Amino acid sequence: MLLSRFAENAFWLGRYMERIESLSRLLMVTESFAADQDSDDAWAPILNVFADTETFAEQGKTLTALNVARFYISDANNSNSISYASHMAKENARSLRHLISTESWRQVSVFHNSILTLQKRRFALSKLSEICMSMRESCFTFRGVMEATCYRDEVWRFNQLGAALERADQVTRLIDIKYFRFDRDDDDQAAPPDVAWWNTLLRSASGYHAFQRRYSFNADPSDAATFLLCDPYLPMSVTNAAEMALYQIHRLDEDFDAGAGQEIKRAGAALRERLKSPPARLSGRTLHRYLDQVQQEIMALANAVNDRYFAPA
Amino acid sequence: MPKANPFAGYDAGDNYCELFGLTDTKPQTGKPQTGAANPLAKRLSKYNIRTLNQRNSAAERELHNLGITFTVYSDAGAIDRILPFDPIPRRIAQSDWKKIDRGCRQRVTALNAFLADVYGKQQIFKDKIIPRALVTGNKNFRKEMVGVKLPHNTYTHISGVDLIRDESGNFLVLEDNCRSPSGVSYVIENRHLMMRSFPDLMEGVKIEPVSNYGQRLRETLRETAPARAQNPRIVLLTPGVFNSAYFEHVFLAREMGVALVEGRDLIVDEEDRVFMKTISGLERVHMIYRRIDDEFLDPEVFRKDSMLGVPGLMRSLKAGKVAIANAVGAGVADDKAVYAYMPRIIKYYLDEEPILDNVETYICREKDDLAYVLDHLEELVVKPVGESGGYGIVVGPKASKAEIAGVRRAIKKNPKNYIAQPMIQLSVSPTLTKNGLRARHVDLRPFVLTGKESWVLPGGLTRVAMREGSIIVNSSQGGGSKDTWVLR
Repeated sequence: MLLSRFAENAFWLGRYMERIESLSRLLMVTESFAADQDSDDAWAPILNVFADTETFAEQGKTLTALNVARFYISDANNSNSISYASHMAKENARSLRHLISTESWRQVSVFHNSILTLQKRRFALSKLSEICMSMRESCFTFRGVMEATCYRDEVWRFNQLGAALERADQVTRLIDIKYFRFDRDDDDQAAPPDVAWWNTLLRSASGYHAFQRRYSFNADPSDAATFLLCDPYLPMSVTNAAEMALYQIHRLDEDFDAGAGQEIKRAGAALRERLKSPPARLSGRTLHRYLDQVQQEIMALANAVNDRYFAPA
Repeated sequence: MPKANPFAGYDAGDNYCELFGLTDTKPQTGKPQTGAANPLAKRLSKYNIRTLNQRNSAAERELHNLGITFTVYSDAGAIDRILPFDPIPRRIAQSDWKKIDRGCRQRVTALNAFLADVYGKQQIFKDKIIPRALVTGNKNFRKEMVGVKLPHNTYTHISGVDLIRDESGNFLVLEDNCRSPSGVSYVIENRHLMMRSFPDLMEGVKIEPVSNYGQRLRETLRETAPARAQNPRIVLLTPGVFNSAYFEHVFLAREMGVALVEGRDLIVDEEDRVFMKTISGLERVHMIYRRIDDEFLDPEVFRKDSMLGVPGLMRSLKAGKVAIANAVGAGVADDKAVYAYMPRIIKYYLDEEPILDNVETYICREKDDLAYVLDHLEELVVKPVGESGGYGIVVGPKASKAEIAGVRRAIKKNPKNYIAQPMIQLSVSPTLTKNGLRARHVDLRPFVLTGKESWVLPGGLTRVAMREGSIIVNSSQGGGSKDTWVLR
């Protein structure tokens, strides 16, 4: 029977690797948009979404594209950075080494070494897109290696559970990057992001073509939001990620005699309900509020998982 | 680049050479014998140095990627270092191995009999074979273990017998290791690495396999679990990721398929039973392979400040509800002071002559020996008793005047704390350097598993002093390792 401590390591290995993937995606999306603009304003929202505006300013950094990109890629002191996530993924994997496949450990190890190399070489902005692309591919490789080689035991379930919850959470942040400001604006229609932004988002979530097929004509940004959040067939959607998380919890119960308990069931049902019935038009402040609510349901589920499985007996 | 014989310039000096034996290793006598009589040497001579170095770099990169590393923690973060690997295997002939195998089993049988006696009837003191005070006054003696009965009287389940080879090729025991000896993971990983990096070197050579060690270890632990446990649950207790040998703990837990636990994962209940904390609640544990020193094992009994141990473990052990390998207090048998008495201990318990000799040893607590040691410090290797890992050793012929004076003062102040041995030139084995194959000193640590009976993993860890002339092979002092081939 799996130790609680290892369950937690497996969960966080999943979360951190997923976090790297979505951070790379976020930086890619921002970069492709900032390229059209003269100023570096496009980079400020990332700091906002991760509540890093103050930390960033305290370090005396000026708000430039390169500074923000480095802050989120190679700054090991920033606990929201890819460097940090990669370090944590490796440390969690290190504890799990006897329980995951050699191939998976090797993949984490090789990836972390590549990040360390990146930290030493101060990369130029022109390389950003290439770097992000290659990091995303490494994350895909990691998922593939895990999928192909890991024994489907509790470790696997907790790893998938962590990855699913992180994915759900990160998708809401990805969208919120253009919507958090509706928190203070009174005008529901204040300068919403244009179609091009949504298209980039859809592409980064590998959902652009599916979206075109699904909605074909007269699609508007609120449809794209509904699609990214609630489509049951899009791998990246919150609904899909949440269902995957709940499925893992179900299998832990069924196969490994690790019953979920009341709190997890309640939180799971609440999240599922929230995703089933989104407001009709997901735009402006409505969208921001909805993202907020979904985020909180996800957090509640993650907390319930923590209390049930990881807190020492 | 001209294709040169990598053995060009190879010189084993006055040392026994593991590849060429006693003869034909000096450049002036022509090329080393690399003909049909020595197929491994013949094969090696076909490589050029650059190829060997390239393959070696690739192998070391692979070690790094696979994380076959020990970790050095500092303020700058965690740095994973590999144990330097040398791709030139060390060869052991089957006839030599038979002797080592029998000799190691004999030695470990005697060590276990000694430990059972020391923590039982203490007959050996009454028969005046070894001074009582030397044993019971030793810092590794655990009075808490006196009178505790263990399954099969096994105290040292996993033992490492450090062997060296003198100028004429005799294997001698340098020391015994009864406290969680480490290094076996490198034996197995080195073999895997050789199979990947030098398949052409191994092709058609019949070598004793090493990959079943995990199964053997698990079987040993199962045999020595408390008899009442029908289907004993085994765990490996590690100090955690910060321990330099953590990779090996991971490796062994995985090869055995058992849980790798830390002290905080275990609890002992009011009925003295040990449990581990799992996702479905508490699960009973019967057998603990611990890689934590005695002092840290149970804060109720030993060091109170230990964060690594489990309060109540000794209660459980005494109640016969859990077994611990190696036994608490086993370290008293591998002490350098006890080592000197090993020939007498073997004779006493087994009525046999030692198959493997000790290195001649002067016991500074004995008056005549002390006088001799103080007179011959420049020629002797002085070792503090109760230490391991090569710490505190003074090699007379290589020491400075100040070091000699320092150790003289230390011995005079506390003679009981020292033994001394003549300088033995360790044997050499061809080792890859940038300039070709060169003679470097090696030792050998075979691993012995003991449940009902003893079994020796064929081969063992060959440690190599990577620096020219050095005889310190410990990994903590810059030593590397080689694959060890017991030829069939």
